[in-house]
Amino acid sequence: MEIRDVPCPFCGCLCDDISVRLEDNRITGVENCCTLGNAKFLSKSRLQHPIMRKDGKWIEVTYEEAIDETARILSDAMRPLLYGWSGTIGEAQVVGVHLAEEIGALIDSTTSVCHNPSILAIQEVGHPGCTLGQVKNRADLVVYWGCNPIEAHPRHMSRYTTYADGYFIDNTATDRKVIVVDIRRSDGAKIADEFIQVKPGGDYLILSALRAMVRGKDEVVPDSVAGVEKVQLQRVADLMMKAKFGAVFFGLGVTMSRGKYKNVRNAIELVSELNRKTKFTISAMRGHFNVYGFNEVLTWMAGYPFAVDFSRGIAFYNPGETSVIDLLERKEPDACLVVASDPGAHFPKSTIEHMASIPTVQIDPCVNATTALCQVQIPVAITGVESAGTAYRMDGVPIRMKKVIETEFPTDQEILERIVTRIREMRSDG
Amino acid sequence: MNITITFRNRRNPFIPIEAEMITPDAFFNNKEICVGEGNRMVHLTELADVGIDGTASSVDEIEILIRGDAALVKRVGEYMTGGKITIEGNIGMHCGNFMSGGKIEIHGSADGWLGREMKGGEIICHENAGDYCASGYRGGRRGMRGGSVEVFGSVGDFTCEHIAGGEVMIHGNTGDFACAEMKGGIVTIFGDTSRVCANMSGGTCYVYGSAVEMIPTFEKKGTISHDGLLFHHFRGDVANRGNGDLYTVRFTYLQ
Amino acid sequence: MAEILLKNAYVIDPISGINGEVMDIAISGSRIVEDASPHSEVIDCQGLLTLPGGIDSHTHTSGTKVNFGRYMSPEDMRAGRTSKKGHMHITSGYSVPTTYGNSYRYSALGYTSLVEGAMAPLEARHTHEEFKFTPLQDSFANALFDGNWGMLRAFEDGDIKRAAAIIAWTLTAVKGFAIKLTNPGGTEAWGFGKNISCINETIPTFDLTPAEIIKGAIKANELLHLPHSVHLHCNNLGTPGNFSCTIGTFGHVPDVNDKRQSLYATHVQFHSYGGSGWGDFCSKSEPVANMVNFRPQIVIDMGQVMFGRTTTMTADGPMEFNLYRLHHDKWSNHDVELETGSGIIPVNYRRKNLVNSIMWAIGLELALLVKSPWQCLLTTDNPNGAPFVKYPEIIALLMSKKYRDAEFETVHQDTEKRVPLPAIERELDWHDIAVMTRAGQARALGIIDLGKGHLSPGAEADIAIYPIKPDEIDPSAEYEKIIQGFAQTEYTIKRGRIVSRRGDAIIDGENTTFWVKPKVPAAYDMQHDTVFQELFERYYSVRMSNYPVQEEYLHRNHCIETETDL
Repeated sequence: MEIRDVPCPFCGCLCDDISVRLEDNRITGVENCCTLGNAKFLSKSRLQHPIMRKDGKWIEVTYEEAIDETARILSDAMRPLLYGWSGTIGEAQVVGVHLAEEIGALIDSTTSVCHNPSILAIQEVGHPGCTLGQVKNRADLVVYWGCNPIEAHPRHMSRYTTYADGYFIDNTATDRKVIVVDIRRSDGAKIADEFIQVKPGGDYLILSALRAMVRGKDEVVPDSVAGVEKVQLQRVADLMMKAKFGAVFFGLGVTMSRGKYKNVRNAIELVSELNRKTKFTISAMRGHFNVYGFNEVLTWMAGYPFAVDFSRGIAFYNPGETSVIDLLERKEPDACLVVASDPGAHFPKSTIEHMASIPTVQIDPCVNATTALCQVQIPVAITGVESAGTAYRMDGVPIRMKKVIETEFPTDQEILERIVTRIREMRSDG
Repeated sequence: MNITITFRNRRNPFIPIEAEMITPDAFFNNKEICVGEGNRMVHLTELADVGIDGTASSVDEIEILIRGDAALVKRVGEYMTGGKITIEGNIGMHCGNFMSGGKIEIHGSADGWLGREMKGGEIICHENAGDYCASGYRGGRRGMRGGSVEVFGSVGDFTCEHIAGGEVMIHGNTGDFACAEMKGGIVTIFGDTSRVCANMSGGTCYVYGSAVEMIPTFEKKGTISHDGLLFHHFRGDVANRGNGDLYTVRFTYLQ
Repeated sequence: MAEILLKNAYVIDPISGINGEVMDIAISGSRIVEDASPHSEVIDCQGLLTLPGGIDSHTHTSGTKVNFGRYMSPEDMRAGRTSKKGHMHITSGYSVPTTYGNSYRYSALGYTSLVEGAMAPLEARHTHEEFKFTPLQDSFANALFDGNWGMLRAFEDGDIKRAAAIIAWTLTAVKGFAIKLTNPGGTEAWGFGKNISCINETIPTFDLTPAEIIKGAIKANELLHLPHSVHLHCNNLGTPGNFSCTIGTFGHVPDVNDKRQSLYATHVQFHSYGGSGWGDFCSKSEPVANMVNFRPQIVIDMGQVMFGRTTTMTADGPMEFNLYRLHHDKWSNHDVELETGSGIIPVNYRRKNLVNSIMWAIGLELALLVKSPWQCLLTTDNPNGAPFVKYPEIIALLMSKKYRDAEFETVHQDTEKRVPLPAIERELDWHDIAVMTRAGQARALGIIDLGKGHLSPGAEADIAIYPIKPDEIDPSAEYEKIIQGFAQTEYTIKRGRIVSRRGDAIIDGENTTFWVKPKVPAAYDMQHDTVFQELFERYYSVRMSNYPVQEEYLHRNHCIETETDL
């Protein structure tokens, strides 16, 4: 049996044209997927039962015991942290936000370690953007800055930019130009019409230079900026101003370079300036398939897109103070619940050490690097494969993830709801 | 009125204390001083020994002395309008938030966001200050608007971000992006600084040391003599239609 | 079934013809009934002003661009924050409250139904998600069609029926309520950074003029027998001299429906400007109001500007970009493929600014110069003109010449040379206000038959009881009491349950979403139309099968099926 138009639960591209072949409730093949999506749909290994540490060993426990222990851990904590969220659907994220509010917890998502700076920049200067279909149909100039779509978002170029059919683009091969900016010659650079090799940390400086040039103030710019020749910058500024519709996409090369949100801010201000001359948009290459969804959910519920502290009975937001890495480095949280992400694999050593030293619970289908840090792990249905719900694509378009396989595993939404119920019971029991 | 607050050691010393009620104003208005510790509110006396001596007929007559480990005590002096707060050791984030009058003197170091969104008054920090010293809040257009901040040590990144008024003096070095988005006010940096005055639109900044990784879109305006030294004068940030003045003794570009 | 008896309510119910009668209202379950049962909970209203629940016919509370407005404005979020209290969740946001914030604050004002002013069909799922978290008001979504490629192509071919079929498919798919046009033609031109300045100008990418789009949509709307008329945000919003475009647009509107207007023009204050630039900017509320007075087929809403900070957010992408160039503040933009656009910028309307003072006057003038309150409804295009929590102040300004004069003293001194406001003596009365804040909306939206906007037996028990004794207040003199009285109900009742009491929401709530499903014959079912499908195969970035809003997004909902002339 084949199910068509299945949205892929891996990256921010949220390709929704995947075909999944099933036999006896098992996925036997997928079509239209990239390698990353393939791996997600065809992954096999997973945890079969909840597990808990007892006397230094892992033992299998029932869901009820695991939920009980989780509720106790969270309820007793003075500064609990609920982290992750990007790999699950909005309906579960909502429960997480309610839970955080109820127990006065900190809540944060993987945003903090990837596009946190992009959001900070947007909060300073706004976000001139568009949906991906606008780029596909209209963009004759695409700029990839500090990102490598070929590796991280493999179908981005074929679905949305360089190779995609566009209503206003007659011949994608000749009518679209690509500019790539990176510190090294990535795969993307090889197909670029113009490649800028910038010194590490130099993005901010060349963005300032480009802005001055777009303003017509070339004379103030020195002959070379951050290792890039002024003449090349002039060529690039020219290409941008002559485009009919330019679309800039940026990734961690910009957000995680020194200066972080200042880099993104400068890129946004360049795009805003270009809008006085022609049409330009800028978009963040979001990583997880539903990291943006968490930002949306937390915003409409509490007012801020990530890093919120509910401990004082209001929503307080201050990245650098309420964001996950900073909190863990300062050893603030005294209990942690990890949902749908794998901090053990990505976080700096000191933060992982702290997580291992406090009671930590993970809700995730698979044993992963974070498991080693936990006291309890609760396996759940794989979102987008075994459970349905809402996800937000990197451009903000909401798409409903599908359930293609029946499963006995509960969903993370169910588990979170049961944790909330158990905490309320514990509190009313006194 | 003299108030001495001595913080005791805690079982879990890593959980910050939010002490926005430790202000001369709150003591003057005879408020019950409560602080936040994680997700609960407690009386200050549960975490510190508090001694009160004398009376006050105005806020300006109140002096608070903070002793013990206050490195994680946040928001001290928030919204204060007068009086004095002296901190013997280090102090936590957001010290002097929104203050409009009075004086805060920190003998140790201050954590991030010292004097955030200040409107008036005076802050002196004898050692170092963290990131976002004398800056604004996320998404706000204007940060510090008035008053003065003096740090004898060095400061972290993004010091004086969005500054719109007031005076700041840093005796040591700054981190990256000092005075980013500067709109007004006067900032003096005696040590070195990095990417100073990025995207500036107004205000004046003096750098007595080295401005490293100069923003390339500042216009060279020659040199001036000031305080017995020769400063290079830059106007900018041209990328931002800016008309701020940056004076620096030395500068280098990233090459 | 819960039963409530409201005793001694001072009722104004324009639709039922009741104007200031002290009477009892019996509620059983979710509806108003003839007689109370002996088991009813009795509430003695003590002669307090009792109106049908408020209906906001144009507000931006839910969806993509509203949420953009929130997360790009942490300073606005912090300015409006409230703590957890009883049943109420924490809220944030001053001009763009979080969803619970919107719901609690609207409920405190006595509002029980909200029409989301602009929903891009591609992103409708987001709007419906937010509706769920605005639980104390029923939801209606105006779906944007101004740049809809399928519809525009059909108009190009002169095929109104095909256009109507596409509209029908889309409204059904996205659970929309009405056809919204925002700067028709302009938002599509903005796809390449351009705009349209005249309704007779051909748009760059389709062989159509805005006038043709508007007229075509009006025809299509009537073919589908939709409850509401076309809801239009005219071209040229905010431009000096745009009043002539507004009048030109109104001139094109035929009278094709005997139950309601044929065109609903929204936030007309922003479209009533004279002058040729900012230097000679002035009010043209008089000719615009005159036009409306002579055309019963047009209903407008005010779009009142109030001084202070707020956030502008509309689907009118190019207009927001121009506003950004004036204000030099942050700017967000979000064009939606094949459909529409949007832009968001924070603003601060200042008394010291002559243009802002004139704008403030114009909204009031429209309400006072349009003779029938049924034709000029009260809104601020929340939050574009002002946050909705300022509605009580607007009511007071309309009811009291004294208050208007006092405020006029504080605005820019040259304002009086540019606006007719000081010379207008009219003061609206309680009945007028009741019409402009609920009865008029119910009629304009075509939802009277659904039991909205009135208090006759059979109506939905959506009721607002204000701490005002009309016979004991002179609104003309005691405007402070008007402001206080309308700012917080004694009780707001929704579907027969008390949801808000003196400003506090007391239950979690569960609202109803109202949407339309025109019954289209097979020949016009776009689901199987290959040309229509091609839009998805080739140009949309989402698959056609994934586009419609699935059943899971509608919790309690009411589907309004309509007969069509296709």
